[in-house]
Amino acid sequence: MVRLKVRRQDGDRVWHETFDVKDTPEMSVLEALFYVQERLDGGLCFRYSCRGAVCGSCAMLINKVPRLACRTQVSSVKNEMNVDAVKWGALARPVVKVAKDEILIEPLPNFNVIRDLVVDMEHFYDLLDYIKPWISAGDEVPKGGNLMSPEVEQQIEVYTNCILCATCHGACPAAGRDEMYLGPAALAKAWRFYLDPREQEKDKHARLEAVDNQSGLWGCDVVFKCVAVCPKKVTPTQGILAQRRQIPKNRIKKVFKRGKNSED
Amino acid sequence: MITHDIIIIGGGLAGLRAALEAHNRGTDVAVISKVHPIRSHSVAAQGGVNASLVHDDSWEAHALDTVRGSDYLADQDAVEVLCREAPERVLEMEHWGTLFSRTRDGHIAQRPFGGAGFPRTCYAGDRTGHNLLHTLHEQVLRARIKIYREWLVTRLVVDGGRCTGFIAMHTPDSKLEAFRAKATVLATGGYGRIYQRSTNAIINRGYGISLAYHAGVPLQDMEFVQFHPTTLLGTNILITEGARGEGGYLYNNRHERFMEKYATGMMELAPRDIVARSIQTEVDEGRGFDGGYVQLDITHLGEKKIEERLGGIRQISIDFAGIDPVKEPIPVQPGQHYSMGGVSCDANGATPLEGLYAAGECACISVHGANRLGGNSLLETIVFGKRAGEHAAGYVQETDVQGENAHLDSLASEEQNISDLMGGDGESFAVVRDELRSVMQQDVGVFRNQAGLQKAVETIRELREKGRNVRVKSGATSFNFELLNAIELKGMLELGQVIAKGALAREESRGAHYRTDFLERDDEHWLRHTLAYQTPEGPRLEYKEVTITQFQPKQREY
Repeated sequence: MVRLKVRRQDGDRVWHETFDVKDTPEMSVLEALFYVQERLDGGLCFRYSCRGAVCGSCAMLINKVPRLACRTQVSSVKNEMNVDAVKWGALARPVVKVAKDEILIEPLPNFNVIRDLVVDMEHFYDLLDYIKPWISAGDEVPKGGNLMSPEVEQQIEVYTNCILCATCHGACPAAGRDEMYLGPAALAKAWRFYLDPREQEKDKHARLEAVDNQSGLWGCDVVFKCVAVCPKKVTPTQGILAQRRQIPKNRIKKVFKRGKNSED
Repeated sequence: MITHDIIIIGGGLAGLRAALEAHNRGTDVAVISKVHPIRSHSVAAQGGVNASLVHDDSWEAHALDTVRGSDYLADQDAVEVLCREAPERVLEMEHWGTLFSRTRDGHIAQRPFGGAGFPRTCYAGDRTGHNLLHTLHEQVLRARIKIYREWLVTRLVVDGGRCTGFIAMHTPDSKLEAFRAKATVLATGGYGRIYQRSTNAIINRGYGISLAYHAGVPLQDMEFVQFHPTTLLGTNILITEGARGEGGYLYNNRHERFMEKYATGMMELAPRDIVARSIQTEVDEGRGFDGGYVQLDITHLGEKKIEERLGGIRQISIDFAGIDPVKEPIPVQPGQHYSMGGVSCDANGATPLEGLYAAGECACISVHGANRLGGNSLLETIVFGKRAGEHAAGYVQETDVQGENAHLDSLASEEQNISDLMGGDGESFAVVRDELRSVMQQDVGVFRNQAGLQKAVETIRELREKGRNVRVKSGATSFNFELLNAIELKGMLELGQVIAKGALAREESRGAHYRTDFLERDDEHWLRHTLAYQTPEGPRLEYKEVTITQFQPKQREY
């Protein structure tokens, strides 16, 4: 038996509720939540889809750590007494003590709660949209396709593995402070497009310019919490630092371009 | 009431590709989905997408492999379209940003796949679906196409013999809204979750297919259900065919590569129906492991290759089974994976109902016949998604917007239906659903026979009765998943009934439909498609001819 202590919310009303779940050796936290929804309280809500850590729907705070419920085993967290508060940071919600055979489940921090464990993701998607997350491909497809070396492909792959689950955003102290901060996912995505030889140079520079500010690259605390919680081993902080290193070059190019334009 | 020229139901690969095409052709198009598009099940596809990209391969060879794989039930004119257009669609995805794996000289890498005579499966590690879906979503964002996220479409509106839109429920507040469209495209994926063991996402309940069935559109070849040979023991998460494509072996409990007995030529890379049956036979005859599985061994590929090409399934094995495939074999068993059948439509996605199109797994064109080859489903989504978007865009140019009366009537009756589901004592959706999943698994699975299928038809009939008494206890108005489940359960029960009845009627073995009481393929009587129509007494079955162009039916040998 395992006890889930779930932070619930409906409008302004917030409360914690415990549910006793008959656990099995291989049970995931997501399955435990289904047990509650299907047998104990049909009103409990949480997002889900693939149950295989690829769709990114079920990010939540489990024992104070942002994780995907589907890939978190009940057995590995039910006696997780010593969550390192220093490592995971002061998250925005009040601390609730976790007892033996108990799992504390809360919505992802740094988001507004819609109800129970469902948070409002619109803001997260808007931040992503800001960096224009697409290749600005022309209409003509080159015959035989574009060429790309396996080395470049593997460099980019670290970043394309992002599933936009927002665990990084939930762990990010800068995102907690500043609502305008683009956050690890969007900034990592920006670096993914910077690395891609298929992206037009002018679009790369425009994107870099757009994130060259306090709400972008310079807002990051460089504490690697996003890297620590990412379920897909994406490394947003490294991507942010790499882009910071490109900035001087970009600024020079910009000045050069302006100079050229004024001559025209 | 919300109005667009075209609305696509479903935000997976087929839906987004259709939307992009319709947008590029200047129409006002929107996408509606019960989840954010990138949470769609396309994201979970692993192994790859087929296209004859190089000189020593050809679309004709691809077509022959596809037709043989289909056990000759595929319509060959549609297969020709699929294989001819494949290279163009794949290269286009690459151009839009899909991060395919690469050869040393920088071209898109291709791997061998089951039932294929040539390594023509383009891949992005073992995350091909993820890479394709994120790319298409990016391009849809770029095009600023309107997306209605977290809406469940509950019924289609049919007015004067035309589909003129639908009614949908907005999950965050459970409010119903009428949507009006000159053309509606179904791209809602499969129904895997009506089976106990399925690789599919939990949201794959087939509700979109049942929408069309309700609207009078026939469902085609629904008895052909693909069981993937290698799903992870326990969760049944997919372990890609790419694992065998890269050189993985299957072993029974005597450490025999048992595929030698069943497909001497292609061994582990025989088509999926054959490998799934072989594994099930080994297990049923006592040569499997306790818990009903065999071993998929890739340890000999080495850590570097596994990490590079199969990194995703390595992580899945570690996370969900506590096994590192670099060090030990993966425990696998067959599980429901894909629906060859679906909403009957032509190669332009047009269904028999004017104004309604279908594309992707929910559709049956038919390019997969009785058994789909790995790598052809991702391909189908981009080829026929594009075509459905293109033809819907053409159709709306010469069509007027319909009036609102039929929508208002449908809206009122849906409001009544939903309110009838709420409150009071009744059955729990989960109990009925679990019984359905159990009977489908037991009696409509890899091996089928008359007694089992009759029992299944009878059980599902009873479950439908029981299903009428399902009531929703939670009165939550926001994200009421109990309510969503109760709505979708009705569709699941209907699809189960169509599948079981079609399987009972088809007295032969062909592709994934295997009858232990009719072991042979019977072209004389059964080289034809099943069409199931909804009637108050249950499905009415009709049949239609298969289109054969260049490949005459032969015995399949692998």
